[in-house]
Amino acid sequence: MVNPVLLIAVPLGLAFSIPLFGFISRRIEKYIPVAGMLFNLVLSIILVPKVLQSPIVISIGGFRPPFCINLVAGTVGVFLSVVIAAMGFLVSIYSLSYIKEGATEKYHMLFLLLLTGATGVVLTGDIFNLFVFYEILCISSYALVAYPGSREGIEAGVKYLIQGALGSSLVLIAIALIYGQFGTLNMADIARNISSIHSMNIFLPFVLLIGGLGIEAAIFPLNAWLPDAHSSAPSSISAILSGIAIKIGVYAIARMVFTVFGISDTFLFLVTLGLITLLVGELSAFKQQNIKRMLAYSSIGQIGLIVFALGIATPGGVAGGLFQILSHALSKGLLFLAVGYMIYRTGSMEISSLAGMGKRMPFTSLAFTVGAFSLVGLPPFIGFSSKFMVIKAAMAKGSAIFVVLAALVLFAAIIEGAYFFRVVQIIYFKKSDNALKREEAPPTAIIPIAILVTLIIVIGIYPNFLIGLLNSAGSEFLNRVQYIRGVLG
Amino acid sequence: MTFLVDHIYYIGCFGLILIGMYIILAKSNLIKVIIGLSILDTGVNLLLIAIGYINGGTAPIFSRPGIEANGMVDPVPQALVLTAIVIGVAVLALALSLAIRLYRHYGTLNLRKIKGQKW
Amino acid sequence: MRKFLAIVLLLILAVGIAQSIGKIPFGTSKTKVGRYYIDNGVEETGATNIVTSVVVNYRGFDTLGEVTVLFVAALGLGAVLALKKKKQENDELERASLVLTSGCKFLFPFILLFGSYIFIHGHLTPGGGFQGGAVIASAFLLIYLGCRERKINENGAKAIESLSGLLFVVIGLIGLAVGGYFLLNYLPKGIPNTLFSAGIIPIIYIAIGFKVGAELTGIIDNLMEAED
Repeated sequence: MVNPVLLIAVPLGLAFSIPLFGFISRRIEKYIPVAGMLFNLVLSIILVPKVLQSPIVISIGGFRPPFCINLVAGTVGVFLSVVIAAMGFLVSIYSLSYIKEGATEKYHMLFLLLLTGATGVVLTGDIFNLFVFYEILCISSYALVAYPGSREGIEAGVKYLIQGALGSSLVLIAIALIYGQFGTLNMADIARNISSIHSMNIFLPFVLLIGGLGIEAAIFPLNAWLPDAHSSAPSSISAILSGIAIKIGVYAIARMVFTVFGISDTFLFLVTLGLITLLVGELSAFKQQNIKRMLAYSSIGQIGLIVFALGIATPGGVAGGLFQILSHALSKGLLFLAVGYMIYRTGSMEISSLAGMGKRMPFTSLAFTVGAFSLVGLPPFIGFSSKFMVIKAAMAKGSAIFVVLAALVLFAAIIEGAYFFRVVQIIYFKKSDNALKREEAPPTAIIPIAILVTLIIVIGIYPNFLIGLLNSAGSEFLNRVQYIRGVLG
Repeated sequence: MTFLVDHIYYIGCFGLILIGMYIILAKSNLIKVIIGLSILDTGVNLLLIAIGYINGGTAPIFSRPGIEANGMVDPVPQALVLTAIVIGVAVLALALSLAIRLYRHYGTLNLRKIKGQKW
Repeated sequence: MRKFLAIVLLLILAVGIAQSIGKIPFGTSKTKVGRYYIDNGVEETGATNIVTSVVVNYRGFDTLGEVTVLFVAALGLGAVLALKKKKQENDELERASLVLTSGCKFLFPFILLFGSYIFIHGHLTPGGGFQGGAVIASAFLLIYLGCRERKINENGAKAIESLSGLLFVVIGLIGLAVGGYFLLNYLPKGIPNTLFSAGIIPIIYIAIGFKVGAELTGIIDNLMEAED
């Protein structure tokens, strides 16, 4: 009996027990997140074929759905939990030797809890439960951004915390107003009753929810915290924040728009917002001299692309958005992990100081190049297939405005290409003054980087085995009626 | 006027919420901003409680047999507020610890003067 | 300028709020989920305090998350303040007067007793694990303020925190193994309004009480040591 609740309960239990393992031996502690995420990865992959037949609805505590919290492990939820567990597993291996300073035991616990919170958000079917897991995700990210204790880290942590806490309060106000009108917190139950209420009455909760969740998702006017937070955090955490955390915000927004509220008038607004975010992010990334800030702004751009794809609101578009989530998680995770040791070796985050890296760290530089090309969208990497899917869905929409928008997306990809090629060129061709000695990253970094490179190339060449899953996830995400029937019977 | 009388509790809650937001947006001292967050949290918690209230209601506890169930207030917002308070405390504690560290690095809590990182 | 912008923004929000609060009538009974809990709560969970039955049983998963949030905050606080621990050892603290120290020591066990009463009786009377835990932490705060040379046993606090958190998860998992539902109330419900009733609810609340007490004490401990 495989139960999706184990995806949350087991890592939570492991995180609680890390201090107990620490009493036995301080050296076991850091392997616990690896074990927890491996467990989640295996379990969610086992769940995939089951949820493709029908979504699994689990009630907690054994009561009937609207009266208890329920988990809905549909294709979307399980797909995202596979992504979370895979990234978490690889980054936790990377952290084994990357994290040496500070309270390492606390780092590993926070890391595991962050990913558990993310898994909880994608699986839950209750709006307040979503808020609680979302808070676990946010609070552990605030702490992990500030973890290095440097000037920049603390400053970024403070900015992130204030904006994030404001956002969570907005979400909570929205939940209060929703409860006041519907008397229930179950998402399916709200969705069933929402058409009986005049649309003016749900406008304020809707705006507050989108605004509050949009802060964590870093959608355009709300993204001021992201470049600081993602560039000041340890590189392993940047990989998780860019690869997982902001996508969880986007998922939550999409769940609210598609399932709970089901307002189709907002789709064009989402598309526009996504496009603005994309252009702002890419143009800001173009100016950066600091490599991690450049990657952080590029994440804003990619989030814009994901929002754009989800806003198309056809099964193909949503599938493209989910594919883009996977592709960005893998590519940006790879870039941050590779850059982490480059910065560690040079001691500087300036792009110009990466000169000569191609000889000094050949494998890491190659991995960086693969990640960059994949992010730009060159074949045969995964980024090409996912961007192609998004553009195809936008074109299939048929109307002239979508053709223009798709052209703008391509324009953004060109900007992206320009700044990534500049970095790659510096890494390989710019002469460096330092003596060039080979100093490759340690094996705990090489292994996850190699796995990511393999995944990016393999999925890029054979995307077909994922397409079926993604299409089924896309149509499931848009199908409110089926969701409501699945939960409430 | 009847609107005011009927909704005086809601108006009070949203008043607190707006005051908290104003402090967060307009003040530059980090401690004041944290106080603003705390006021905002209080406003949201009161709003939840006010939504669950019914006129002349009692606490939803069957402390002795034969107690009237009809007059009980809604228990769900109270449970939610318990969660929301704990989350508020958690954020507040973390914010204060960050403020301590920020002061140690910069020697000031004025957010306008702390500009280590620019756009 | 910034203040002006803030006021404009908040005025827009206030107009939106005024539009929407008129639609939620105040003081009338309107919730179906809440009604169900009041009508069936005692029968289904055995707890006479319906808020407790909602917190621990119907919405127990939220509470697990909530405990985790507090855990995360305590961890984050410890991690952020961690680097500063070493120097403070040789600080000379002026000892408080005998009246103050003995008063604190005298009150300490009573506050602990009161806190434990609150969380053990969480399913019968107002209160519960979080409230009891906060009261217990206040006892430690009193000792910190009154007898400044006293220190808590950090490893002990850490062990209590971990064990009680683990207990919560394990109780839930046993429910999954026994009845197929996480956090199922599988123990006998007993007679309502007696101490030994309501199945797993008191056990979970005791675990939460210990955990919250240990965590808040840890937070106080970290903040006290961090002061310059």
